[in-house]
Amino acid sequence: MTTAEPTEAVTGVPFTLNGTELVAEEGELLIDACDRNGVHIPRFCYHNRMKPVGMCRMCLVEVDTGRGKALQPSCMLPVTPEMKVETESEATKKAQDGVLELLLANHPLDCPVCDKGGECPLQDNAYAFGPGETRFVEEKRHFKKPIPISDLVKLDRERCILCDRCTRFASDVAGDPLIHFIDRGSQTQVNTFPDHPFSSYFSGNTVQICPVGALTAEPYRFKARPWDLEAVESTATVDSTGARVVLQSSQNEIVRVLGVDSDAVNWSWLSDKERFSYEATAKGDRIEQPLVKNEETGMLEATRWNNAAKKVGAALRVEPDRIAAVGGARMPLEGQYAWAKLLKGVVGTDHVDAQLDDGLPGPLVLGLPRATINDACKPGGVVVTIGADLKEELPTLFLRLRHAVVEDGVKLIELTSTATHLSDFATVRFDVTPGSVGQFATAIAKQAGADLDFDVADESGLVEAQADKVAAAAALLDGSVPVTIIVGRGNLAESPRFTSDAVGIFRRLNDDFQFMPALRRGNINGALEMGLVPGFTPGGVQRESAQLDTWPDVPDFDGMDTKEIFRAAAEGRIDTLLLLAANPLQDFLDEDLVRRALANVKTVIAVDGISTETTDLADVVLPAALFGEVDGTFVNLEGRLSPLRAKVTPPSQARPDWMIPAELAIVLGVELGFTTIDELHSELSEVLPSFADIDWDTLGSSDDGPVLKLNRSWNIEFGKPAAAPPATSAFRLVATRKLWDQGTMVQESPSLASLPSEAAIHLNPDDIERHGFVGDSVTVRIGDQTHTIPLTSDVRVNPTTASIPVCLPGFDARTLITGRSTTAVEIRPNGTT
Amino acid sequence: MGYLRGFAVTAKKIFEGVTTKQYEGGKGGKTDQKAPKPERLHGRHVLNKYEDGMEKCIGCELCAGVCPANCIYVRGAENPPSDPKSPGERFGYVYEINYLRCIHCDMCVEACPTEAITETKLFEFSFSNRSDAIYTKDELLVDDDGRPQQLPWEDWRDGEDQHTSGWMRATAPSGKASAQGTVAWSGELGYGVRAPEAAQNVRTPIDAAIEAVAVDTAKAEEKG
Repeated sequence: MTTAEPTEAVTGVPFTLNGTELVAEEGELLIDACDRNGVHIPRFCYHNRMKPVGMCRMCLVEVDTGRGKALQPSCMLPVTPEMKVETESEATKKAQDGVLELLLANHPLDCPVCDKGGECPLQDNAYAFGPGETRFVEEKRHFKKPIPISDLVKLDRERCILCDRCTRFASDVAGDPLIHFIDRGSQTQVNTFPDHPFSSYFSGNTVQICPVGALTAEPYRFKARPWDLEAVESTATVDSTGARVVLQSSQNEIVRVLGVDSDAVNWSWLSDKERFSYEATAKGDRIEQPLVKNEETGMLEATRWNNAAKKVGAALRVEPDRIAAVGGARMPLEGQYAWAKLLKGVVGTDHVDAQLDDGLPGPLVLGLPRATINDACKPGGVVVTIGADLKEELPTLFLRLRHAVVEDGVKLIELTSTATHLSDFATVRFDVTPGSVGQFATAIAKQAGADLDFDVADESGLVEAQADKVAAAAALLDGSVPVTIIVGRGNLAESPRFTSDAVGIFRRLNDDFQFMPALRRGNINGALEMGLVPGFTPGGVQRESAQLDTWPDVPDFDGMDTKEIFRAAAEGRIDTLLLLAANPLQDFLDEDLVRRALANVKTVIAVDGISTETTDLADVVLPAALFGEVDGTFVNLEGRLSPLRAKVTPPSQARPDWMIPAELAIVLGVELGFTTIDELHSELSEVLPSFADIDWDTLGSSDDGPVLKLNRSWNIEFGKPAAAPPATSAFRLVATRKLWDQGTMVQESPSLASLPSEAAIHLNPDDIERHGFVGDSVTVRIGDQTHTIPLTSDVRVNPTTASIPVCLPGFDARTLITGRSTTAVEIRPNGTT
Repeated sequence: MGYLRGFAVTAKKIFEGVTTKQYEGGKGGKTDQKAPKPERLHGRHVLNKYEDGMEKCIGCELCAGVCPANCIYVRGAENPPSDPKSPGERFGYVYEINYLRCIHCDMCVEACPTEAITETKLFEFSFSNRSDAIYTKDELLVDDDGRPQQLPWEDWRDGEDQHTSGWMRATAPSGKASAQGTVAWSGELGYGVRAPEAAQNVRTPIDAAIEAVAVDTAKAEEKG
């Protein structure tokens, strides 16, 4: 260096930490500034994803702001200029000793029994900062040993140090303020309200953040000790948020899943489904061997892989037009690519669809410009939600969005089928009835200045009645602030056409609006990206313009979607039907159609890890390895790639998904071109431009994972939206989904299986009063069928609509869904017809 | 034909006498007596019970964690409230020690927070296959009278169960010399509260016996 460069202007707040001069960020808390500079201050109550409260006093440090030294809690103190901080002074140490001695005055020393022992912040801090000996000889405080505060969480109040972490999480982060401090003085305790269990979808997070062993999760209680756990980072696959997790195993069994603090995705939070559904892999009814139906007895019998593969190979040697495949959203990206290559590239069929007619049209999802979660949650922005209550479908995304709306001032416009758990915080919320969302979008867009060549078709006057809301929403969408539109399928009894119409209108309003597809099935975004959708090949490329050098072939016809596939199969136009980890008998809206389809297909081939009612009807069942058993890659709703890592071995003969099509290809006399997962990765990087720069080996290990650059060369033409259905005296049906349902992952996890509630029809209290419904149930008429269904009064339901969740025990709500563009049901007081 | 030489070795050995040395007087003989063993000798383990019959083991896995030979396998489980196996919430549901791996270092005994696992002085036990070498909880647990189970393949003599536990730790409580001679041991089934081990400068009868053997051996070596 020859000349001294002018020193860069120091931006930030200068302060002195243990004699070293440092610079903190503007408004940074002292505890964070110390962390960033490698000085650890012990703490219990402070959590970097929650607001500080200064409850535990463990982080007291000696601070001199010019008025002399004083002990101050560093978690409540923003750094101010020229602040002098001593974290190791005599006074600080004495304060730490005192705090720990007092905390341990009542904390039981049952560490060998306690599940937290070995990873306990209180234990660690007592060793590192504590006095070593106590002066207390008195009997400790006693409470009844663990009390269940929910089906999943137990609370041991003796161990609680009243740090306020769980209660803050419940009220501030999750919005389920169901646990609180009660009583006073030495009897202060955390507890639930009488008759209101802590039945939050996020209860497991309180166990993870509890700094002592006061909160324990039922599935992990006494299962293992922290020092004999092996861990690996992975990604939760139960929904498409792709929360980052760490899988912990003991004795080749996954025993615990913890959230990882990924700044871009889940901020360390998980829903209970993401946290506890690992049980399904270990304890579910696993398929361990290939099964082939015995022609004589009609029973599935275990066989060897090559026998099963031969049988599948024979079934795949028919006209490509007579082969169809449904499913694939559960698999890692590698399995999806291998299946796409086998089905579209080798066999040559385009009848492949990963969605079970319960999502949004594949071309729409693939063609939209994507927002990341951080884009959507950036302070100052506007978020529009179309579709479902995210708390029920994508709970971890809900937590991020809730924080953005409640804490960061993100404006929310709701065009959802029912009110959601965010409606109270929404700037504008529309009462949308089934089929009218396109008209609301038109009204908003027109008001915001979009050049549309059609008018609002508002015969029922619904839009007109909410004209002030339309004006408010239009003002927010004038293009001055970034807008993210989260679009999902909020109503299974409504055609997705209306949602795509609304999306199209927002596309035409402003090209810069970004979108986030709120499809709920695990790796559905990976499946769409890998071409498990009719008309497309991997990379979101349309079939006609596919350029895949390593593929032997591409289909020469446009395929059918799942609904059409089942119709064709029922009519005998399909010979071979592959079910790729799909359970249509449970998940497809028309169960009867699926039964007819399965009966009329010559060979049904099911590839799955868990035995379901659908695999029981298959002719060949191929066992697949599941979450935590295989390495792979996950694509979340942002298009972010994150790793899936194996921690335990698959049971018996189950294989990773990508190996199964590779083996079947050999039976067909073709090589898929990869024999290891690394070769598959190189092929992906070679064939698909969006994957060209992916470093597969370090994927997500040092950052949050790369977001795929999705540059679509094609545009969707959006036209005039379909007219809203006319007003009717009947109720329009909104079929929703709940987090706890009869789905495979929930039902095969013993701790979760009992959580789904009984199905009930939800009506707005005003409607109940107006129609004079009394009692616990109503009679619902659809076509010439009548059903008696339990009734629930629910303010979240829009007037003149009836909401019912599908896939719950009690009543199968699918029987009410007609398959028309919207469904109207007649509801009468119970006992009348 | 090289293998014939191998057989020849075997054949020769068949007719050589057994090299195993019996205790003085020979097994089953009139004077069949084991040599005296030091009080702190590390032998086969036992799992102790409290005086009320509850198991002391709480399944905390500290023994398994500290074991340098990785020979202990423990799984904890929640105590059934109607029929608790141990005081507290957790009990040792599975407890296994593999004696092909165990080096009798006694680290498990030191790690145990409830004095559940201790070692007897018994080392006269053998097995003819690997799975027999794994002692399960049923075998390790003391009898209903608090004494170690005398399993058929073990060579127990009268009075040998005296030193199954008591003051078996290598160090005094908290590592403090001043704690020497104080009872730091909860009551246990069959023994109640044991007297503390004698201080290190006090000679016990066993010390004398061991010294006598040592002197005899030294003399014999001098002669030989």
